[in-house]
This record gives sequence, structure tokens and C-alpha cells, in this order.
Amino acid sequence: MARALPLIAARLLRGLFAASLLALSGPAPSQPSEAAVKAAFLGKFPAYVGWPAESRPAAGEPIILCLIGGDPFGKLIDDAVRGQQIDRHPIQVKRIPRPDDGAGCALAFVAGASTIEAMKGKPVLTVTDSRNSAQRGMIHFVVDQGRVRFHIDQAAAVRSRLAINSRLLALALTVKKD
Amino acid sequence: MPTHPTRFASGGRTIPIMMGLLAMLLVAIGIGVIFQNEANYREQKTRETNVQAEILAASVTAALDFQDAPTARESVDALRVNPQILAAGIYGKDGALFAGYERRPRSLPNRALAWPAAGDNMVLAVYPIVRSGERIGTVYLLSQREPLKRRITRYGIVALLLLLAAMIVTALGVAHNLLRRSNRALGERAEALSDAYAELQVQVEERARAEEQLRQAQKMQALGQLTGGIAHDFNNLLTVIQGSADILRRPDVDDAKRIRFAEAIVQTTGRAAALTAQLLAFSRRQPLKPQVIDLNRKIRAMTELLDRTLGERVEVVSDLAANPCRIEADPAQLEAAILNVAVNARDAMPGGGKLTIRTGSASLGEDKPAMALAFADTGSGIGEEDLARVFEPFFTTKAVGKGTGLGLSQVYGFAAQSGGDVRVDSRLGEGTTVTILLPCNLHGHEEAEEEIEARPVIVSRSGRILVVDDNEEVGMFAEILLQELGYEVRRATSGSEALELAQSERFDLVFTDVVMPGMSGLQLAEALDRARPGLPIILTTGFSDEVTRSGSGGRPVVFKPYRLEALTEAIDKALPRKV
Repeated sequence: MARALPLIAARLLRGLFAASLLALSGPAPSQPSEAAVKAAFLGKFPAYVGWPAESRPAAGEPIILCLIGGDPFGKLIDDAVRGQQIDRHPIQVKRIPRPDDGAGCALAFVAGASTIEAMKGKPVLTVTDSRNSAQRGMIHFVVDQGRVRFHIDQAAAVRSRLAINSRLLALALTVKKD
Repeated sequence: MPTHPTRFASGGRTIPIMMGLLAMLLVAIGIGVIFQNEANYREQKTRETNVQAEILAASVTAALDFQDAPTARESVDALRVNPQILAAGIYGKDGALFAGYERRPRSLPNRALAWPAAGDNMVLAVYPIVRSGERIGTVYLLSQREPLKRRITRYGIVALLLLLAAMIVTALGVAHNLLRRSNRALGERAEALSDAYAELQVQVEERARAEEQLRQAQKMQALGQLTGGIAHDFNNLLTVIQGSADILRRPDVDDAKRIRFAEAIVQTTGRAAALTAQLLAFSRRQPLKPQVIDLNRKIRAMTELLDRTLGERVEVVSDLAANPCRIEADPAQLEAAILNVAVNARDAMPGGGKLTIRTGSASLGEDKPAMALAFADTGSGIGEEDLARVFEPFFTTKAVGKGTGLGLSQVYGFAAQSGGDVRVDSRLGEGTTVTILLPCNLHGHEEAEEEIEARPVIVSRSGRILVVDDNEEVGMFAEILLQELGYEVRRATSGSEALELAQSERFDLVFTDVVMPGMSGLQLAEALDRARPGLPIILTTGFSDEVTRSGSGGRPVVFKPYRLEALTEAIDKALPRKV
């Protein structure tokens, strides 16, 4: 018994140590900036979205990410999409002042005064940010408890004939359905 | 009958070995099945774990992609419901732990590469997390291969199997041992039995030999008794005959004396003849001449004789049945039997007593009607030991010379020959009852008893008689007798001589002995029947075997020793008297 006591204590210590490690592993180890996270997210959304056949990019063609009405990311977004391949499609960032059909946007981050109304019903995944826009796109960034999260308006996506992967839906703070 | 116990034991060693091997084989098969199940289970478990890892990888792809650790942890925590999953880790592209779950502390490494190889009872599944063809992380899933309970159950079953096998082998061993021991015991018993059997056989042989010796000794003893008894009786009789003959030879014997001594000789010879008749009856060589007899009449006729024979001190009382049936017996033998029993009764009552002679109805065997003739005395009785031997010839309790031991033996022989039986009931000190049972003759008529009167035989006879006897003296005696009767006599000493004489001379009658060397009297008679048909032939013999065996062919027989009257009677019957 006398020898068992330190053994138990050691195990307890070990358990505590492991628990603290687990707790630490929750948030990202190095704390990137909010803008960087949002930029990374924007580069990853296309992997979880299905476009209707006619608006899919041809083989080897890039998926175009449009930043409409302002660029809050700058270099961050370029870094985030660099080397990123979604089913062998690279991502190309286009900065345009207002919605433009000719730009071929697959997804559009709408900032500033620009409106998403023009893209309603078109197969474009619209993304908005609560920090710089009151309007809500299909994906709407918020900061919740210090973490970048998002709401998803699946009803709007369905109206635009976009299919959002359930795995992405699982990460959303809320999912708006009809 | 020697048995071989080894036969039982020879197969006994291989059987338990075979049974043991069989038991071991069964155990091996059982264990094999268990381990085969185990392997299948492991394989299934491995597949299961891999599938779970794959599912986990799919469900945490987005969470990892978007660095949403709480959501990833939620997915991982869903595994908690499966107690067999010990640890699960989601690692990013750089190999750092993104989210994880561990059942036991320290089982979840911080770096993907730090995962240890799976232990004996573990399954480690590693699955890549792929998003749009790009690997963004790895799932590690450590699962316990089987719960402890299952393991314990498995080892329990194995242990149980082994225990059962051990028990079977032990039981077999014990049973085999018992069997071997009982076989050995059986073998020993069989051996002992055969030994006992051999010993018994030896004893039986010894006993047979001893019995044979005893019989021989008894025969010798009997012969001794016979010699003692008969010789004594005969000597007495011979003394009388010798003495009388000596007196008759003297020249100056007056008539009265001559008649008295001649009569004495005749009487004594009669007694001697009776003695030999008894001997023959005993040996059953004397043919009976059965007649139908009224038993009551016989007893009445003999009462006076018995009174005189038994003396004044014995009272003779007769109690005769009212309606007796007729019996068939030899009257002379019957008289002898009655006398024998009566004399025995007298001897049993030296101080006097009462002899009751009773006749009554009885039955023999299966309702065969019979007459019982009982003699009850008030004498000393017979001891149990002696009672069993009373009918034995030459058995006597009387002093040497007082009895021949043939009395009851004669009674027995007579009764047996007459188809009857004899019973002796006696208790020491309470007297003896001898009962003679004789079968009834329901058809025959009593022959008028011929009172043999002393007929004067001086009637003159004539004729030629051929006497045939190989014994010179007997032949001469017959010749003298027949000459006395007035016959002319020729004598032959053999059958062939007689046959020659009969063919050359004329005879009115042939009187021939039966037993002769060469041609017997019977053969002679047959030959004479062919050569001289119609020639009367009378046979004579003292030894009836030949006549009994072959029969006399209807010819008259005169038994030796014969008296003048018997001879005269036979000749008179054969030869019409020419008066």
C-alpha cells in the first residue's frame, strides 16, 4: 500500500498533464489574425460547395474568387489561395468594384457598399462579413467567443442551385433553411 | 479348464491411450475452433476499427479544414459510446494533434508520428483526412481488440475444456485400473477354480478307488459271513446225515431204528435243500412257480406250525382281513418268507412276547391293488443303523452259527420277484413290524392245493429210460432210483453219447441234466426232437439259469435236489402209466 500511493499520485499528475495538453490543442497553436483566418476560409469554401454543371470551370481552369467592393485582406488572401487546388482547379482572386457577370465569379466576398442583390439567383456563393456589412450572403462571417465562425443561408444557396456540403453545414453557427 | 486372464488384459493398455489421445484431439479441436473464432473476430475488429477511422476522417474533414476544434472534438467524442475505443486523434497536415479523445491517460500522443505500434490486444487504424483530393490530416484510432469479459470467457472455456479432458482422462485411467484389477481378480478366481476342480477330480478318483476297495472288502466280509453261517448250518446237517448213515451201515440195526434214522436223513436233507433254495432265491436264480393263493387260508394253515416253531413263550395272534383278494406267489417261497419273519420275531423276543399276524388291503405304486401281510412283534426293535441293512444278504446281528443273514434277504427277494415289496418299521425297544406287500391277482382261480400224500410208490412201472448226466454220482443215483421204480435204465455221460444211444436203441423216455460240457441238455432235447419225434424228455437241473434264459421248450423240469416223489410225478405225467 505504501508503494501504491506515489504510483497513484504519479498517474494523477500524468492525467492532469495530458488534460492540459488536450485543452491547449483546441485553439490554433499560433494565433493568426482574424483577417488571415477569414482569408484561409475563403480559400477552402469551394471544396465544400457544388456548382451547377454549366457554371463549373473547365478542366484546368481556375475557380474565381471575387472580392467585390473592397479588399480587407490584401496579401493575406493571395497567400491563402496560393498553391491551393480544389479538384485540380487553382483558385484565382479577382478584385472588382461591383458585381459583374463577365467576371465569372464562382464565389464572391462582398464588402463595403456593394450589394449582393445583383447576384441573387445566380450560381455564385456569396460571402459577407458582419464587421463590414449589414447584408448577409450565403455565408456570413461572425466572431464568436474570439473565434471566426459563420452562418450559412442554405435556402439562398438552394435558390441559386448551389449545394453546400453537410460537413461545412456542421461547422456553421446557424443554418438557415426555408 | 485353465483360463487365460492375460486375454482380458492384453487390449487394456491401448484402449486408454487411444481414449486419452481422442480426448486430447477433442481439446485441440475445441481450442482450434476457439482460436479460429478469435482470428475471425480480430479480423472483423480490425475492419471495424478501420471503418470507424474512415468515418471519423470524413466527419472531421471540414472541422480540420476550418480549424474548428470543438466541432472536431464533438465528432471524436461521439466514439466515447464505444468502450473498446481507447484513443482517437485527429492530426493536421503538419502532424500536430488537432483534436482527440483518450479513455486512459497518456494513450493519445501529441504528434502523429509518436503513435506506438499496436499492442497485442489492440488495433491501430490510421486513415488520411482528404479534402478534394488533398490530404489535410490523419486520423489515428486505437481500439481494444476485445473486451476483458470476452477474453476471460474465452480463457474460461479453454480452461473448462482442458479440465473436462483431464477429468475424462482421469476417469478413464481410474476405470481402466479398476477393470484391470477386477480382471486380475477374475483371473485369480478362475485359476483357483480350476485348481479346486482338479483337486476335486483327484478326490473323486480317490473316493471311487476307496469305494471300490470298500466294496471288495465288503464282498470279502460277506463271503466270510457266508462261510461262517452256511458252513455251520451245513455242518450240522451233514453231521446228522453222516451219523444217521453210519448207524444204518451197521449190520445189526433193527427196523424201528432203521426207519427213524432214514427219516432223519430225509428230513435233514430237506432242510439242507431248503437252505440252498434260500441261497438261490437270494441270488434270484431260483425260478418261482407262482400260484394263486388265498393269503388268509395260508396263514390259518400255518398257525399251528408257527405256534410250534416259535415256542410257548411267544403268543401268536392273527388278525385277518374280511375280504382278501387272491395273490399270486410261489407257495413254498411264501411259506419260507413267513417262517423267516416269524423266526426273526421270536429271536427278537427272547423273554417272550406277542406276534400279531395281520392281513389287509393295500396298494402298490399307482393304485395297484395288493395284499399286506404284516408281522408285528413286541421285541427289542432294530436300531436305525441296522434298519438300513436288514435286507442285505448275510447281514445278521445274531451270533455266528445262530443265523445265516439270509432270512430277510429271502423275504426281500421273494417279494421283489413276486412284484411286491417289503417294509420294515421299527424303533429300538418298541418292537418291529415287517410288512410284505403282494399284488392282487384279480383273474386267477385258486388252485386246489394238492395234498401231497405219501403215496405208496411201490406201483410197478416198466419201460426204458435213458439217463443223461455228466456227473457220475448223480447219474448213478438217478439210475438206482428209476430201477427201484421198475424201469430199465441206460446211462450216458454226454449229449452226443446219448444221441448215439437214442438212435441205436429204443427208449420210452429221456431224463437229462441241462448243464453239461459240450452239448447241453436243451440242445440234446432239440436234437432228439428231430431224430426221435415224440420221445418224451424230462429236464433236470440244480441251476436254473439255462432254463430261465432259454426256456425249457415246454418240457417238464425236475429241480435238484429232487425227491423220489417229484421224480415219480414227472415221469408219471410224461409216460402214461401202464397199470
